[in-house]
Parts: sequence; C-alpha cells; structure tokens
Amino acid sequence: MKRKRYKLGISYLASVILMSLLGACTPTPAEEPALPVESATFPIETTDQADRVVRVEKMPEKIISLAPSNTEILYALGLEDRLVGVTEYCNYPEAAKEKPQIGGFSTVDIEKVVEIEPDLILATNIHKDEIVPQLERLGLTVLTIDPKTVDEVLEAINLIGQFTGKAEEASQLTAEMEKQIKAVTDKTAALTEAQKPRVFYILWHDPLMTVGSETRIHELIEKAGGINIAQGLPDEYPRISLEAVIMANPQVIIAGSGHGTGQDAPFHFALTEPRLAEVEARQNGLIYEIDSDLTSRPGLRIVDGLEKLAEFIHPELFKESQ
Amino acid sequence: MNIAPPIHFLHWRSRIYGILGLFILLIVVALLAVAVGSVNIPFSTTSSILICKLPLVKMTPTWTSALETIILEIRLPRVIMAGLVGAALATAGATYQGLFRNPLADPYLIGVAQGAALGAVIGFLLPSSWHSVGFGIIPLLAFCGALASTAIVYSLARVGKTLPVTILILAGVALGALLGSIVSYLIISSGERIHSIMFWLMGSFSLSQWSEVTVILPYMFLGMFIILLYARPLNLMQLDEEQAQQLGINVERLKLVLLSAATLITAAAVSFVGIIGFVGIIIPHAVRLIWGADHRFLLPLSILTGAVFLILADLIARTALAPTEIPVGVITALCGAPFFLYLLRRKRKVIF
Repeated sequence: MKRKRYKLGISYLASVILMSLLGACTPTPAEEPALPVESATFPIETTDQADRVVRVEKMPEKIISLAPSNTEILYALGLEDRLVGVTEYCNYPEAAKEKPQIGGFSTVDIEKVVEIEPDLILATNIHKDEIVPQLERLGLTVLTIDPKTVDEVLEAINLIGQFTGKAEEASQLTAEMEKQIKAVTDKTAALTEAQKPRVFYILWHDPLMTVGSETRIHELIEKAGGINIAQGLPDEYPRISLEAVIMANPQVIIAGSGHGTGQDAPFHFALTEPRLAEVEARQNGLIYEIDSDLTSRPGLRIVDGLEKLAEFIHPELFKESQ
Repeated sequence: MNIAPPIHFLHWRSRIYGILGLFILLIVVALLAVAVGSVNIPFSTTSSILICKLPLVKMTPTWTSALETIILEIRLPRVIMAGLVGAALATAGATYQGLFRNPLADPYLIGVAQGAALGAVIGFLLPSSWHSVGFGIIPLLAFCGALASTAIVYSLARVGKTLPVTILILAGVALGALLGSIVSYLIISSGERIHSIMFWLMGSFSLSQWSEVTVILPYMFLGMFIILLYARPLNLMQLDEEQAQQLGINVERLKLVLLSAATLITAAAVSFVGIIGFVGIIIPHAVRLIWGADHRFLLPLSILTGAVFLILADLIARTALAPTEIPVGVITALCGAPFFLYLLRRKRKVIF
C-alpha cells in the first residue's frame, strides 16, 4: 500500500511538473478519478488524458471508438449496443468485427464519422494532433485516451466509464484488474535483482525493434519480475542492434506476434536466427511468443498480458496458477 | 548534349597512386568498421579473432564465443556487404553517367529503384506463409522487380534497332513515377507493416549475413568485370555516338551490354539492403573531380571509393546513436551531399 501511494505521488508530481512546463493554466487535471461512483451524472466535465477539458451534456447514446483498445473497454463495460463505429483493426471481442467500420487506425474516415452523428468519440494519442482538432471543429465531442502506464490504463477505463454512465461498472472492473496485478507483483516484489532474468522483448525483427523504458510493455516486464535488456534506450520503441542483444545475453526472449501480415515472424526469427544461437535464452529454450494485442493494447487484457509474461519469466512462481 | 570530351591530362602516376592508396584505405576502413560497434570490443581482441581465422594460424581463443559471433557473424558480413553494395552502386552510377553522357544519371534513373521497391513492398504485404521461401521473398521480388522494370523501360525506348538515350531516360522517369505512385499507395494501405517498408526503402545493412553476401557476390563480380572490360569503349562514347560508331564501336550492343551489367549489379545491391541513395551519383562525380574522367581509371577508382564510402556511412549509421541504428540512406545523403558540394566549389571546372 505504501508503495502504491508513493507511486501515485510520483505520477501526480510528474503531471504537475508537466502542466507547469506546458504553461497550461487549466486547473490540476482530475486524472485520479473521483472514486465515489455516483458521479455518473450528466452533464460531466473532466480533463481527458491529453489534458483537454471535455464536456458531455447528456448520456451519450452513439459512441464511436477510434482504437481497438477503446473498443475492448466499451465491450467490457457492456456498451456494445451504443457502440456504432469501430476501426478495421477492432478484432476483439469477435463481435466487434461486425460493427460498422469508420476507417483504419490513423486513417479515420471523417465523413463516415460525421454521418453517424456520434455523441462521443473515443480517440487515442495518435489522433491527438490532427484528427481530434478536426473532429472538434466539426462540433463533435472527443475524449482522448492516452495511458502511458498501467495505472493510467485503469484510469482510462474509469474515465470511459464516467463519460458513458458506467462509472460503477468501470470501477468494479478496475478493482478486479488491480487485484490480478497485485497477485503478480506480490510474488515478484520479493525477488532479488539476481533472481530476475534478463528479458529481450522483440517487437519486430526487421528492423529489430524492442521496447524502451518509457513503455507499458517495459513496465509489464518489470512487474512480471524481469529485467528489460533495453532499459535505458532513448526511444519508446528503439531499434536495437543484434550485437547489443548478444552482449546483453538475454535469459528469456519474448516475441510479440500478430502484427499485420507478419504474424509469428518475430518468434520465428528468435527461434532460428543463427547468430542468437549462443545466448542463454536459446541455449535453454526459453523463447516465447505472446499475442501482442495483450501487451500493447491499453485495455483490460493487459492484465492477461502481465500474467502471461510472468509465467514466461518466472514459471517457477506462476506456472501452477494457470 | 554538348558536353566536351573530358581530357584531363593527369599523370598516370597519380591515378595509380590513387588506386593503391584507396585500396589500403579500404582495408583500414574495413578493419575499423569491424572493430567498432555498439558493443565495445578491444581492438586487440578483434584482430586476434580475425587473425585466428586466417589459414595456418593456430591460436587458443581467449575470448567468449559471443564476441566471436559479433565480429565474424555480424560485423564482418555487414562490412563486406556495405563494401560490395557501395562498389556496385558507384560503378553502376559511373556506367550510366558515361553511357548517357549525363551528369544527373544515377543507378536508379531508369526505374531500377522503383521496380525493386514495388517488388519489395508486394513482398511485405504477402501473407506470412510466403516469407519462409529461401532467403525470403522480399529480396527475390525486389530483384525481379528491378530487372523487370528496366526491361520494360528498355523495350519501351527502343526505336527499331536503336536505343535513343533521351527516350530511354524519359521512359525510365515516366515508368519510375508510375511505379512510385503504386508504391506510395501500397505503403499508405499497408497498415502496421508501414514501419518495415519505410525502413527497407531507406536502406539498411542491419541484418546482413554471410548467406546474403554469397548470393550477391557472383552477380557483383560478373557485372563489375563486364563493365571494367568496356572502359575503353565508354571513353569513346564520350565523344558522340556517331563518332564512336565510326571508330568501330557497336554502340547499340555496347548500350545493351552495359545497361544489363549495371542494372544487374544495382538490382543485386538493392534487393537485400534496400534503396540507398546518393552513392551512385556522388561517388563517380567525386572520383571524376579528383582523378579525371578516363573510364579506365574512373571505374576501378569508383569501385574502391564507393566501397570505402558506404562502409564508413554504415559505420556512422550504427554507432552514432548506438545501440539504436540510423538508416544508412540518411547518412549517405547527410555526409555525401555537403562533401560533394565542397568538391564542386573547390574545382569549379567542367566536370564532364
């Protein structure tokens, strides 16, 4: 508990610093959702995760999701009847594929969106700069979901809950998620540094890309009791040279799969690249594949991703639980 | 095209010295590039690992196998690949420039790059089951695309039995634009694959390995050998096609042979490493500015300079922001263009 408060303090401090750096004069964002769930009354006005003040007058009846993660959250909140537009990448749950599509991820068909006349649009960070302002100019209400950390994923779920009249359901879901996360971190928190294996997460193999310290996947690896060999690299998703990987000698390699047409190409690479033959992970056969939708999407299944990673990184602690 | 025949009465000696000096420089640069990387390995270890691999040398390894993998399986093939590609692009550039008597000609002028790009992008968009064919479907499709687009340009530009250079260039530019627009469309609709595609288009040696080197080596040697054989006719071509014809050169055959050879090495180069710009246009010019335009020297000097340049560019690409890498095409443009401008300012004479 103490740990948690410390963390919240840090993120609060960080957001305050960020705000002052940006010279924003809006009041401190209510990022920590007001926990009394009765606040599900309309109108509602709150700062979203792109630090924009969003106001919704009445309960939104038509909702459009511009990202697969948002779609997953909406389904989890039982809002599928009010969800009237998704992207062509929204593949979970299965039923989402049947919804009317309003374009790709970054390529939103604005005309289609306008035609639907949604009461609420759930965007993400990639829409922040161009699509969101454009939609707002057209008089539409956009809520930007941009969670940088796992905690912020939970906040995002609560935020969506608040704006859709499902605050109570949202807080139940996130409480459950918190419990699952805690079940993992309780076990890994006791590990010494020496007990934590070096983990190489392959985002993509050509070019060879991994995850830097600023990503949620890095955070998941740490929570799962591993040490990301790419921590300290500058970018979010940095390229890494093969020789740096060989020198880091990862003990576990985890390849994300499911990206586009490549499917399991990164996993195949990890298994067969001859120059990785000597690294410990290959020697001990500790190479795993994970559905990258679980790790990279800021939705509810991020908890499943965490549990899978924990199982890969510390089978001795987590295997029997599965 | 009224470009004066280039007669720089440079001493032969300076060119011979140039070749020798560049050869030594190539070896030094290659060694340096093998010794330096994102992982720090002492130079003594690097040289021991290399020397150990020479025939008749017996040494007990004092280094880990990880270091040996890094030196012999990652850096060495990469450096050799960079050298080969640099040599190929520079030679092809010199050949096209000589053949077309046009200083703006580069290896990608008649559609090779766009053809290769289209092939590669199609490869990227194919379902994953296709990707396990031999060396991968992407180099194969890129190679075929490059050859096919040049063949189309060639047949479009043919007038009877002759091949007017101007029409060839125009056809190349037009087809290039057409293919380029298809590529752009495919990129836009490629979804999550877009990163890999953009990366390929900018060129990289990051996954070069011995198997790739051995695949392109025969094409490179064959193509460069043929081009070197035709250095003297290329010199005569600088006069005028008619005059060259009168001097006993089968101009049309010369064009066909040289275009084929230059296209072959360019296609082989781009198919594995992507489209690396600036080498093919700048290196021949730089060599010409320093040592003159006699193709008997221009070609071998371009081979050496191109190899040195691209090895250095790749070295910078992988060490400047190590352990992340910059696409090598960014470096070639960034270093190549100012250096070329400097040469241009220093020797403001007729280049051609």
